Amino acid sequence: MGSAINVDQMMEKATTAAAVFSQLTQEHTDRIVRAVYEAAFDNRVKLAKLAYDETGKGKWEDKVIKNVVATQFVYEDIKDLKTVGIISENEETGIVEIAQPMGPIFAMIPVTNPTSTVMFKILIALKTRNPIIIGPHPSAINCSTETARICYETALKEDAPEDCVQWLTEVSQDATHEFMAHKDLSLILATGGSSLVHAAYSSGTPAIGVGPGNVPAFIEKTADAHFAVEQIILSKTFDNGTVCASEQSVVAERAIADKVIEEFKKQNCYFLSRQEVKALEEVAYDPKRSLMSPAIVGKPATEIAKMAGIDVPEDTQLLLVPLEGIGKEYPLSGEILAPILAFYKVGGFADAVNQCIDLNFYGGTGHTASIHSNDEEKIREFSSVMNAGRILVNQPSSQGAVGGIFNTLDTSFTLGCGSGGKNITTDNITAKNLLNIQRIARRRINRRFEHFDQKLYFDESLDANAIEKKFNMND
Amino acid sequence: MVKYILESDITDESNLVCTFEERLDTANCQKIEDELFSKVEESKAPVVFNMRGIDYVASSFLRMCLRVAKEVGPGNLSVINVHPNVKKVFKIAGFDKQLSIT
Repeated sequence: MGSAINVDQMMEKATTAAAVFSQLTQEHTDRIVRAVYEAAFDNRVKLAKLAYDETGKGKWEDKVIKNVVATQFVYEDIKDLKTVGIISENEETGIVEIAQPMGPIFAMIPVTNPTSTVMFKILIALKTRNPIIIGPHPSAINCSTETARICYETALKEDAPEDCVQWLTEVSQDATHEFMAHKDLSLILATGGSSLVHAAYSSGTPAIGVGPGNVPAFIEKTADAHFAVEQIILSKTFDNGTVCASEQSVVAERAIADKVIEEFKKQNCYFLSRQEVKALEEVAYDPKRSLMSPAIVGKPATEIAKMAGIDVPEDTQLLLVPLEGIGKEYPLSGEILAPILAFYKVGGFADAVNQCIDLNFYGGTGHTASIHSNDEEKIREFSSVMNAGRILVNQPSSQGAVGGIFNTLDTSFTLGCGSGGKNITTDNITAKNLLNIQRIARRRINRRFEHFDQKLYFDESLDANAIEKKFNMND
Repeated sequence: MVKYILESDITDESNLVCTFEERLDTANCQKIEDELFSKVEESKAPVVFNMRGIDYVASSFLRMCLRVAKEVGPGNLSVINVHPNVKKVFKIAGFDKQLSIT
């Protein structure tokens, strides 16, 4: 089978684009970014519908909101950022920072947020004068490439470098690997599953990846149960749970658990019986791959219930799964990108936090954790033991983690998960992560070193404390 | 917009020297491309692009360089008097392997 993808040719074009890009001024760059943001924003509904029709996942209305976040909120976040030339000067330290582009970027796009991730990645790449090649998910090629096309044609109208945005119109694993290992590629933005991220990090090219999540939502006893449940539902039903930062389980402290259960029921969520949990496991989990089943990803709760042969009211928003434990024997205690939520009722604060640690370490280290509480000390205690790049307080974690709406985190569709998620950073990835920062270091001699008798370093009888004392002496 | 001079060097070999006088952005490149290329074809001589005073080149200029380089054959297109900004562009694009840039 011949592939129509000519990796070398596309990389050559990207390299030439990078060369031309290097000359652009901040003003010109910002003009391109503004125009592309507007064009993508203006197509938000059309592209959301296209994504929904093509992937069959999520809700088109929520995909519109994702497109809005990826354009309006991302633009707000990056528009005033200096990304060209001198970006900071400090007379005292003598350090001047200069922003330089990195070079061609290969961007992988997930099936769950295709159009929004394309918009987001193109905007941050253009803002930093980096050419970008979009690698769509095989189930979201049309909507991803259409988004890229709209952005590119708009950029060209503002005299952006030719080929500053390119896209693959077919997907092949071989070509993806060839791109990732290409000698002229500068960076991989790998938003996708673990195997893809691992391949990116193994390619020899610098990579910014993401990790899988398994977000616990802890409802501490001082929380407002009604509000907490409302926030969790808002989050977990958003695009039918496709956001990797969405809550995967609720851990309710015993003192508030009954109120929480009552609230979930009041707000049209359905608690499964033991038999129903078994039936749901059958359809929601693929034991061969030890992963959630793709068939239920982004599907509404009622549809999933039907697939599992469970009778639920028509207006059911979430399927709540009471579980006794965590791990392989409890398949629904891991990441499931659908309106399914594990539920744990746990003794006191310490027990509840321990339960959250277990959930966090069951496939979600480095990603996100959520707490609903009005006790500042408990919030800090919880946060310090979570291995999570983001700890979100009293807010929906799907919308919270991407930043910009419920907090002031950088708005992003690529959430760094630190070393816990085998990533290089816990940042919400944005334009500032796509720059090479050069530092001009002016001569600012260390006076203490200048006045210090350096012969003393050769006197082995002097230990660190003795040297430090003499080094810091005012004489 | 472009001055064309057919001049001889010390070895008496003729060179077509093209001196660019305006910013080489997309619009200007479009205007000069056809004429420049027909001059190159006509002269059949090695080509020199004199870049004095030029500190910006668009994608289309780079494309033009490749087209001319292909036409005149290896080693027969030189780009001279390049501004450091433009030198960097050729370097990043990897064109310094195909053209002589000074």
